[in-house]
Formats: sequence, structure tokens, C-alpha cells
Amino acid sequence: MRTTIGEPKESPALTEATDLCRDTLGPPTPAELDRGLDGFLARISPNKTRPRRFVRWSLAGAAVAVCTLVALQVASVYGKRWSAGEPPTLAYQIDGGSVLEGGYLRESGHAGMNVVFNEGSRLTLAPGTRSRLQVVDRDGAHVAIERGRGSFQVAHKSNRRWQVDVGPFLVTVTGTVFTVSWDPVSEEFDLRLREGSVVVSGPVSAGEIALRAGQRLVANLAKVQTVITEETPEQASSESPSAPPAPAVTAPGLQPPAPGPAPTPVASTVAKLAGDHQWGRKLARGQWDRILQDANRIGVEATLSEASSEDLFALANAARYRHRSDLARSALLAERRRFPGSTRSLEAIYLLGRVEEARETGTAQAIAWYDEYLTRAPTGPLVGEALGRKMTLTDKLEGPARARSLAEEYLRRFPKGNYAGSARELLAP
Amino acid sequence: MLPSHVPLSLVVGQDRRAASDGDLARALSAGEAWAAVETWRRFAPMVLTLAKRTLGSPSEADDIGQDVFCRVYRKVRTLREPDSFRNFVYTCALRVLQTELHRKKMRSWLSFQQPALLDCQGSGTPDVESRDLLRRFYRLLERLAPRDRIVFVLRRVESMSVEEIAAATKSSESTVKRSLARASSRMSRWMDDEPRLADGEKQGR
Repeated sequence: MRTTIGEPKESPALTEATDLCRDTLGPPTPAELDRGLDGFLARISPNKTRPRRFVRWSLAGAAVAVCTLVALQVASVYGKRWSAGEPPTLAYQIDGGSVLEGGYLRESGHAGMNVVFNEGSRLTLAPGTRSRLQVVDRDGAHVAIERGRGSFQVAHKSNRRWQVDVGPFLVTVTGTVFTVSWDPVSEEFDLRLREGSVVVSGPVSAGEIALRAGQRLVANLAKVQTVITEETPEQASSESPSAPPAPAVTAPGLQPPAPGPAPTPVASTVAKLAGDHQWGRKLARGQWDRILQDANRIGVEATLSEASSEDLFALANAARYRHRSDLARSALLAERRRFPGSTRSLEAIYLLGRVEEARETGTAQAIAWYDEYLTRAPTGPLVGEALGRKMTLTDKLEGPARARSLAEEYLRRFPKGNYAGSARELLAP
Repeated sequence: MLPSHVPLSLVVGQDRRAASDGDLARALSAGEAWAAVETWRRFAPMVLTLAKRTLGSPSEADDIGQDVFCRVYRKVRTLREPDSFRNFVYTCALRVLQTELHRKKMRSWLSFQQPALLDCQGSGTPDVESRDLLRRFYRLLERLAPRDRIVFVLRRVESMSVEEIAAATKSSESTVKRSLARASSRMSRWMDDEPRLADGEKQGR
């Protein structure tokens, strides 16, 4: 019951938001708890304690310093306001189209659109691109590209925050020039960075990937591939969406475990390398080959049997990004076997489906993994994805007649989800 | 006092895990090393979930969680009824959260730092619409007074009763009801009034 006598009735949007908040922001994972415990114990260790008198004097000194800083800051803020007025509001002008309710950008012709901002930033949308301006205010802009390609030129001079939702990915930007595209049919995300830096987060990265100028990130969710390449300036300035990705960064790939008895490493070595949460950080930095090399050095079998949950997950993702589906599958199976009931193990079940999808004969097995995820995590964060993938694969394997019931279920639960378009196509007469 | 390097013997045995909250509080107060680990193990999920839902950011919640347990560790000797240790931890969490929210408001006012956006990537929300809704929700929550925000989250997200909230926040029920009514009506109005481009269209065009 959401309301009691005397409480005001809340709006449906608010109810939806609070429900989503409750479902999404759930209990911490075992790895988060472990990390927190380490930090807590470190903070209460005697090394961190100081005599009370010292603390009192430190606090007094800090208070004086803070007061001084506050006074300076206030003077600076008001000084700026008095001298220059409020910071200018971000304004924009659209050429080649118009903005509809909800921020949708509608193209008036077939030549694409240009959105020019008063601070000097510019957004060029290719013909046929479906996008919307989610937020444009004093603090920055939030743009969403649902399909197609957009080229951004974000001015360096402002402190405004720019964010771009591209399909299921989020690109966080400061001052930079880049082109990004998303194809919902092939589920391919493509970002070419010409200047500056961006941070990309999304369903395949298990964290964030920071890109620097000259790099290109191509992530294909359907093929379970993520590739970062270095590009020459000529390549980077080319904006052809069909340009094939350049050869991948040299990857001295991890060799598969040799037949016969695997070398047994010293347990402490594994603990040192696998238990210190370095792989998650390396993964976020795009150092996938380093993770594979570490695992190779330790020994694949030993890693699979002794690495922490987070590190196994990072290893699985690194292997997926480097097309090592055999190793990815082994790591995900180990995650599922060794940490049953954990959030990561549920994610592993979903990713096993993704790994199987990449095999030509793995469709049935992928459906089985998605089924297992839907059974074990009926309200999990990846339910929409699992149901959507299952619908797509069922259509492919058994035909549209069998997939229609899944399409109906998908639309009932996720009317605005990533697979809503495909579901409607399946249900169309 | 705990040693600086936590030895393996700190892994809490099954018998210690069965200790009552009162025994645990007494052991923590006496400085027994296992009690710190067990206190974290027993109450951290509750505290971190509350912090995550109040702040909207898992990374900030981690920091706040540690602040809460450091406060519990320092203040446990002042606990008069060790059997109410769980309530004590929860109250500490609410105080630390309220202080943090005040601090964030202050920082925002002094323009030291803009309020952080919701980091919902880490929580595995692949759906763009959901991410957008959560982001808007937390952006509006930032506008509430810290006390109203906490009461709102406890009632609407944590589903606590007014009586429970009053007990946890050491307030009267009528104060909680007023706070809740204020927060709910504002949030409902803001959510309904916020076609996300309204500001941009008014200001930008």
C-alpha cells in the first residue's frame, strides 16, 4: 500500500520512479561488501587514530582554513555575478528540422539536421537519425540518439556537462569532437573520437571505458564484440558510418589451456593477483589484454577455481571483448558455479546466453540461458534484455508464430524497451 | 584496538555470527576485533542500500557506508541499551546521510561542486528510459530539504511506516507526516510539471 490516510496521493510518474529506484538500487554485492569492509577496517586501525588534542587543534586549524576558503569563494562567486551577471543560458538553433514535444528532433527534409548552441557547441545529425534533446539548461545538455549517427563538437570553454545516450550506452563528454552512431537492428555502437576525451559506459563494459583522441570504439551487442582501435587523423576525420573498423590493437591473446594436467600455481600468487580487484579497474581502462596475460601467467584453471567473483567477471568480459568465447564461457560458468545466488552469477547466466549467440549453432543453448535468467531473476535488471533476446532468437529458430507470445509479453512489460520495435513488427498483421 | 593489518583470524566464526545484537554491541564497545567485522557483515547491507537509495549513487553510498560504521565504532560506548544496537546503527546512518545532504547543498550553493548525476550504470540499468527517469527523479530529490528527502525515501522507497520513521529519526509522528506531505506534494508536482525540455525550450529558444 503506497498511501495511508492523511497522506497525499502521489503522481503515477512518481510512483513509477520510486518503484524503479527500489528495484534498481538493491542490496550491495558481496564484492562491494568486501571492499567496504577493507576500507572500514583500514579506517579504524590504530594508524589512523590521533591523540585527541592533536585532533582538536587540527579541527580548529581546518575550521579557520575552511572559513577563509568560504569567504574567498563567496567573494569570488558574488564578484563574478556582480561583474558579469548570471552565466549565460545554453540556447540552441535548429537547421533542417524542428523540435517536438518530449524533445524529439524531427527532420524537415532528407539532408539531416544541425543543432547549433550559443556557447559554440554543435551537433550534426545524419539523415534519418532519430534523436531527442532530453535536457538543455544552464548546466549543460543531455542528448539521446535512438538510431542513426550524430557528430558532436562540444566547446572546450564551458564547464557544462554534456551527456549523450546512444542506444543502451552513455557517453559523458567535456570538451571534445566525436562522431557516434547506434544501429538498433544490428545492435552496433560506434564511436570515433577526434579530439578530447570521453567516457563510455554501457551493458558490455561492466564499468566505464575512457577513450582518448584518435581512438574508435565499436561494440556489437549481438556478436558480443567490443573493439577499441587506434586511428590515423585521416581515418578519424572520416565520418562514413560504413567504414570497417581498423585492425584491432595488437592482442597477444591468451592461449587455451593445454590438454593434460594444468600447472598448479602457488595459491598466494593467485590471491595476490586475483583477489585485489585490479582486474575490474583494468577492464574499465580497456586493458583487456593485461587481464588475459595475468590469467595466463597464473594459470587458467587456478584462476577459474580461485579468483574472486569480481575478477572472474572482469576476466569473462575481457575474454568476450577479445573474442575468446571459450575462455569467456569458462569464466562465466565458474562464476555461476562458485558464487550461486550472487548478482554477478545472475549476470553471468545472461552473458552465457550472449556468448552462445555468437556461435552459429548456439541459438537453442542461448535461449536456455535466457530462460534460466528469467526464472532465477524475474525482476532483475536484465529481464528486458533477456526477454528481448529470447524473442529474437525464438523468431529466428522457430518462426514468428512461436515468438508472438513473447512479443506480447515484452510489450506488456517494456512498452518503451529496446526491443519494442521488433516486438511490434512481430505482432503486425 | 584493532591491529593495523587485519589477520586471517578475524574471519568471524559461526558461534560469533550467532551472537545477539546486544552481545555484539558489548564486544564492539570492548574493542574485540571480531566484533567490527561482524558489525559490518550484519548491518552493512541495510546501511549501504539505504545510502544508495537516498543518494542515488553507489559510489557515494560506499563512502557514506564507511563513515557510518566509523561513527558507530566511535560512539558505541555511549549506547545505553545494547540490545537496540540495530536501531542505533540505523540512526547513525540517518544522521550521517543528513549531514552529507546538508554538505552537498552547501557545496552546491558555494558552487564548489555541482551535484553529481546518478551513477546508475553500476547498478545495471541498461534501459535508456529507466536511466532517464531515475536521473530526473534524483535531480528533483536534490531540490528537497535534506530532512524531507530522507523522510520521503524512507516512506516511499524503503516502505517504512510513519511510526518507524518517527522512531528512527527521533521525531514526532506529526513532524514526519508534515515532512512527508511537503515532500510528496512537491515531488508529485515537479514530476508532473517536468516535460524534460520545458526549461530548455523556455530558456533556449
